[in-house]
Amino acid sequence: MSTLVGVDVGGTFTDLFQPGVNGGPPLVVKVPSRPDDPSLAVMDALVAAGVDPTQLIQFLHGTTIATNALIERRGARCALLTTRGFRDVLELGRRDRPHIYGLSGKHQPLVPRDRRWEITERIDYRGKVLIPLDEDGVCELAAALLEEDVATVIVSYLHSYVNAAHEDRTRELLVDVNPDWHVVTSSSVLREYYEFERTSTAVIQGYLQPLVTNYAANLVARLQEWGFAQDALIMQSNGGLIPATRAGERAGHMLRSGPAAGVIAAAQIAQRAGFDRVITGDMGGTSFDVAISLDGRPSEAETTLLDFRLPVRVPMLDVRTIGAGGGSIASVDLGGILTVGPRSAGSYPGPIAFGRGGTEPTVTDANVVLGRINPDRSIGAEGQKLDIDGARRAFAKLGEQLGLDAESAARAVLTVVNTRMAGEIRLITVEQGHDPRDFAFVAFGGGGPLHGAALMREMQLGSMLVPPSPGVLCAMGCVVADVRHDLSRTVERTLPRPGAGAEGRLDVSELTAMFAAQRTEGEHQLALDNLDFASVEVQHFADMAYTGQIHRLRVHVSGDADAESLREAFIAKYRTEYGTELGDLDVVIVNARTVVTGRRDTDSALPPAGGGEVPEPLGSRRVCFEEWIETPVYSRADLRPGCQLDGPLVIDQPDTTVIIEPDMHVRVDDASNLIVSQP
Amino acid sequence: MIDPITLSVVRSGLEQICNEMDQHLIRSSMSPIISETNDCAHGIYDPRNGETIAQGAVGLPVFLANMQFAVQSVLAEANASGGFRPGEVWILNEVYRGGTHLNDVNLVAPVFVDGELFALIASTGHWMDIGGNAPGGWNPEATEIHQEGIVIPPVRLWEDGKRNDALVAMIIANVRLPRDMLGDLVAMSSAVQMGERRLRELVDRYSQATLGECLVELVERSERQMRAHIAEIPDGVYAYSDTIDNDGVVDEPLRIAVEVTVAGDSMSIDFSGTSAAARGPLNLAANSTISTCYVALKHIYPDVPINGGTFRPATVHVPAGTVTAAEYPRPVSGYLEVANRVFDVMLGALAQAIPELVPAAPFGTIGVVTVGGVHPETGRYYVGVFPYPGGYGATGSGDGLVNGTPPISMANFVALEASEHRYPLMFEYFALRENSGGAGHFRGGDGTTYKIVPRAPLVISVMGDRHDSVPFGLNGGGPALANELTLELHGEEWIPAMRTKLAKQEIGPGDSLTASSPGGGGHGDPLTRPLELVEQDLNFGYITAESAEEQFGVAIAQRWSVGGHDRFRLDPERSEQLRAARGATALTAGTH
Repeated sequence: MSTLVGVDVGGTFTDLFQPGVNGGPPLVVKVPSRPDDPSLAVMDALVAAGVDPTQLIQFLHGTTIATNALIERRGARCALLTTRGFRDVLELGRRDRPHIYGLSGKHQPLVPRDRRWEITERIDYRGKVLIPLDEDGVCELAAALLEEDVATVIVSYLHSYVNAAHEDRTRELLVDVNPDWHVVTSSSVLREYYEFERTSTAVIQGYLQPLVTNYAANLVARLQEWGFAQDALIMQSNGGLIPATRAGERAGHMLRSGPAAGVIAAAQIAQRAGFDRVITGDMGGTSFDVAISLDGRPSEAETTLLDFRLPVRVPMLDVRTIGAGGGSIASVDLGGILTVGPRSAGSYPGPIAFGRGGTEPTVTDANVVLGRINPDRSIGAEGQKLDIDGARRAFAKLGEQLGLDAESAARAVLTVVNTRMAGEIRLITVEQGHDPRDFAFVAFGGGGPLHGAALMREMQLGSMLVPPSPGVLCAMGCVVADVRHDLSRTVERTLPRPGAGAEGRLDVSELTAMFAAQRTEGEHQLALDNLDFASVEVQHFADMAYTGQIHRLRVHVSGDADAESLREAFIAKYRTEYGTELGDLDVVIVNARTVVTGRRDTDSALPPAGGGEVPEPLGSRRVCFEEWIETPVYSRADLRPGCQLDGPLVIDQPDTTVIIEPDMHVRVDDASNLIVSQP
Repeated sequence: MIDPITLSVVRSGLEQICNEMDQHLIRSSMSPIISETNDCAHGIYDPRNGETIAQGAVGLPVFLANMQFAVQSVLAEANASGGFRPGEVWILNEVYRGGTHLNDVNLVAPVFVDGELFALIASTGHWMDIGGNAPGGWNPEATEIHQEGIVIPPVRLWEDGKRNDALVAMIIANVRLPRDMLGDLVAMSSAVQMGERRLRELVDRYSQATLGECLVELVERSERQMRAHIAEIPDGVYAYSDTIDNDGVVDEPLRIAVEVTVAGDSMSIDFSGTSAAARGPLNLAANSTISTCYVALKHIYPDVPINGGTFRPATVHVPAGTVTAAEYPRPVSGYLEVANRVFDVMLGALAQAIPELVPAAPFGTIGVVTVGGVHPETGRYYVGVFPYPGGYGATGSGDGLVNGTPPISMANFVALEASEHRYPLMFEYFALRENSGGAGHFRGGDGTTYKIVPRAPLVISVMGDRHDSVPFGLNGGGPALANELTLELHGEEWIPAMRTKLAKQEIGPGDSLTASSPGGGGHGDPLTRPLELVEQDLNFGYITAESAEEQFGVAIAQRWSVGGHDRFRLDPERSEQLRAARGATALTAGTH
């Protein structure tokens, strides 16, 4: 009875998801995370789930280890080598400040100035060597670095994306001096221009590489000890998997491992349920993460700002985060206006109702006061009950400042937090040229299903999907994801046009060759992954812009597209995004990209179909919508495929609570998803 | 009274609309200065008085209140010519009627609901070129506005939903990058039209009456909030003055003087004593002076939402005929330098009243280096702009930021590699400028230094300041280093006569330009800076050994080199003794 499991390590909990065997329900396990050694919690989860290592064919994993190391600045001690004259690029950034208003705040570069050295060399923007690499200088510096106790040496020279020879040679020289160093060159991490962003990305990779390498080795060793002999697969920020043994060399791609898994799962489940355009919303304890997906593919961001002056330019699923979660704190500002978040009570002390010492009212407390969360639900291992009275007192106090009673204040808090979430949803869809009303919403995370119905109403979304295990969707995402490699290269040349001279313009056959080379490289990488794939998919993209524009559009193109079809594809995309086009302006190909995906056979991982009738409710309780309504409460486990119900109703399940508002309709589809619709 | 929930929802709804307009323009404009450095802003305005209702989150601070003045000019003009009609979009860049400099082009559109004028929407964007006799518009030798570009008074660009293409052709024929500027005009029109649609949706949802009530309430609340802050400032009169090196034409310093009077929950700001209007382009329109004062207040109290009520508690008096009240035909392309100084003196005055909230002076110059010419590879005209990055002043609780964007701006520096692709030039270095931040218990942030080497002949102009008068420290903190501009022409070093200003200098291969920007002022006595921080400053190369000894009063025990970097260890005991001795000297001197 072979099986596979997905395990997601989050900040508070480590979740395990095992697809149902022989038509049975999936197995879901939550254990506390172990920040001292995250792999211990992974083992705890496997043991708690009673997984038999000899029956396990694949272990799939999402982890916050890279993100946490970066936030807590626990990465490696690094040295940075740059072109002479440019060691401060990392520290200077692009001339900015942390906040638009307010003049305080500092930036701590990951490699401080005393560990950044300059090497004599210079290459121009066409890749021509202007000053040859000073190899003796590199060797002398390498000898000095031996005394500096660094684990990683990062090499980032100007224009290395077009000619990497100096970076490659420097790597060889460094490895000769000390083979134990992790050496990271900027061109190996990102083959694109923009020196600050490329250097920052290389530094993040180098800073995390030793830690992620060790973590992955440790995890594989523990799994082996336990009896699982194969390689584990780890989720990357782009939503694709990579073998754990290669995770170190992709450390900079691990920053969004867990959230990406959730989005991948949500997008796939929705697509199989018949929704091509979906907004996914993951509401946890401190934040709300939004992403959009078309045809099962989540949209991606090319650059993500992790912190002030800390950009990473690797493909990451475009997940926007706002500080609106269950622990977000409600307060009244100086102007007398109610605000919710971004300050959060976190998981400790947490909401007042959890009785762990929280004193400020949170979103979860509002849900408790309004009867939306089961008052008899036990919190934590001690089995203590929710402190509803404590939460109510806090809202009474908050309400005094607003001229509202406790319940109205709690309702106001939900309205405000829902508005903020809806605003973020609107921004991410509109920015990408979409109308949110054309989308279905997938609600997950501990808080998503509590707020999803309200967001649906607020955004006038036609339908909402709540997957079977919304609280462990990230773990499930690991199970259904594919293996993926991204390749990119800066071109920065104008497309040729009939009637215009060819001088200085791109010879499109060069682009074709570049795509072919990227395809070969991606397929080579897949071969190195040494896995069985159901199929291999290759997609080519060109980042294009009108001459002079900075912001480019990523356009899906064929590997052998000619100049005219490239131009047409760009203009069509431009019209979709901006509702206009700019006439006969020239078009520039900025970057060529190829994505090579090894598709895994994951159909069996999704929940099976079944036959269902309308079950009896567990009971009922008073829940506050526009007014207090005695509302039936169902158990999610009782809702079998085919069953249909009308709101208002509450659906309790171990990992969350689902609220369905009056006038909404819910049906259970063949895959056991709740499909919620409104008139 | 409007309920608190609706109020909160409407407020974020309005801000959201402005944010969407910001994003729309940033992503679709042709001018790198908009798309890469966000040099634009969007807002929604009250159609009765033109006051701000809401603004976007990334808009340039200097446009903060200024757009309100531009909107008011359009409002007056529209009222004088039959009022607004549906389907209109107005355009203007006229400086003395709500503009900043000619490159900042404003579009203003009325939003009608049920046939009634409900709001005005505006977009401001910085065009890469607006004509005039210097590419990019920053001409330090201009002596009247007409040398700086085409002047567009408030006129209808769209009427009855139709664009006036004759007007567009007229404008576009007078700028250097016609196709790019047309692209920006299209993008800006499309941004205001999108904003109009979105605002109408919001009105549909909440009704005109409810929304109207919310707007009144929001304005009152911002006013109340700002008054609450001002009431905390001790009553009194706080004066400060500082100077500008010169106006680019006449080599004499210009004085900017301010007197801030705080009485209860109101503040009055008076620029009497400021120098008379400049002959060169360092003039600031009165509306921009007022706007800059507001930016300073908003930096000190960032929590107050911006709308027409926010700054009602602060009245600003700008005497006519001064450098802070430009009138026709005074040139203004160096207005940002004056605005920087207005900002600095506001800090200098308020620091006396609320020292815990006010940082020392930031680097204080926009210092724009403009390059232009015909690119030898494409044969096309290009204009490139490299603004100065510099350091921020230290605060009472921390060091200043290194390499910040000017507080009145949000504009970034373009990527060096992208610049080398676009323009026929190379950077020889781009580095943190050591020792440039003021000494102090907390150090001012450091500025930068960079060197540009042309690959082909090009014309270079510089509009900067802060060479003769440097950014000040506070509370015993030291000043920052001065702005330095150096050229190498035909093998010889050359410093422009106006030090920080240079008009249309031709330079070519073999020549170079080096720009070194000031840091920010220091805060507190440098002799009290913790020794471990001074040691780190030395090891990071932020300060020199001489500065450590002289300014920070420390003794160096050991100095060695690792791969060419100097490393230091301080002698803590001797350092304490030296500092004590200097402290004692200061004390003794003080008693005589």
